[in-house]
Amino acid sequence: MRRLALRLVAGLFAVALALGACGGSSLDSLTGILRDPAPDVGGVALADASNADAPFTLKAAPDELLVVYFGYTACPDVCPTTLADLRSAVRRLEDDASRVDVAIITVDPDRDDGERLTSYIQSFFPGGHALRSDDADELQAAADAFGAAYEVVQTDEGVEVGHTAYLYGVDESGLIRVQWSFGVTPDDLEHDLAYLLREGI
Amino acid sequence: MRKLIGLLAVLTLLVGACGSSGDLVVEDAWARTSASMQEAGAVYMTINGGDEADRLIDVSVSSDVAMVAELHETAMAEGGDGMMSMQPVTAIDIPADGAAMLEPGGFHVMLMKLAEPLTSGSTVELTLTFENAGTVEVSAEVRED
Repeated sequence: MRRLALRLVAGLFAVALALGACGGSSLDSLTGILRDPAPDVGGVALADASNADAPFTLKAAPDELLVVYFGYTACPDVCPTTLADLRSAVRRLEDDASRVDVAIITVDPDRDDGERLTSYIQSFFPGGHALRSDDADELQAAADAFGAAYEVVQTDEGVEVGHTAYLYGVDESGLIRVQWSFGVTPDDLEHDLAYLLREGI
Repeated sequence: MRKLIGLLAVLTLLVGACGSSGDLVVEDAWARTSASMQEAGAVYMTINGGDEADRLIDVSVSSDVAMVAELHETAMAEGGDGMMSMQPVTAIDIPADGAAMLEPGGFHVMLMKLAEPLTSGSTVELTLTFENAGTVEVSAEVRED
């Protein structure tokens, strides 16, 4: 009987340790993808349709984070899912929510004019930036800097768009500190955003 | 006589249970609210298969909601560059006694050319057509996430 009690205590101790380790590790690192070396996108600037087409440089304001997404407004499934999950994560940051800025870069500028793109991103994020270019080379160069890819094909049935669906977390020096794959949960997004905002950017 | 009534009640219950467990059931149908200027939407749901395998072969929606509804699948392109794209599919398999999930990043009902924005609290009525089960009316709740 005494043995059993000892075993129980040992077991409880092990569980407590495991729980502690679990809590600790989840606070000490990012859940998203870390690229080494971190790509520098701070040299890229695109016209911001939400600000009278003024050039927007792809870096965060001081002590903030900029989250960048390559997408398009006619996207029914992937883009709204990711942007809605990002919105949930940012809302949960409460006081720090204002330190996260969001920009969408359209991969479908033929259909996404400035007004449409601005209205779209700002229905998720009121201050969201609507970045676009009618110059195919300029858009490609911006995508290359991030490692993003896209393809817009005109078919008999309409326009088919393929695109990489990552979110990129960019700091004030223009480095991609973390990127998240499609399907990342609001929990993991919230954790990583809070981590970066707390640990210094 | 009492015994007979009791037996009849039990038998009736059994028959009832048998019928309900053997049918295909659609659950948790929902659509995300559409962003401003978003022309296309998606509806997601879980389709629990009945005793026999079935196939979802068609979907339709009232023109008050969207011009056309289609069965689509989002998939990661081959080649390893992580590119995602969407294709129409002719059918979605519903396994016997299993489930087909229509969920973000996978199979979904695509609503093309939305007539009105999809707003929180409203519903989207769809008619699904299955190869064996015939038509099933589904009411999808519109919500943010």
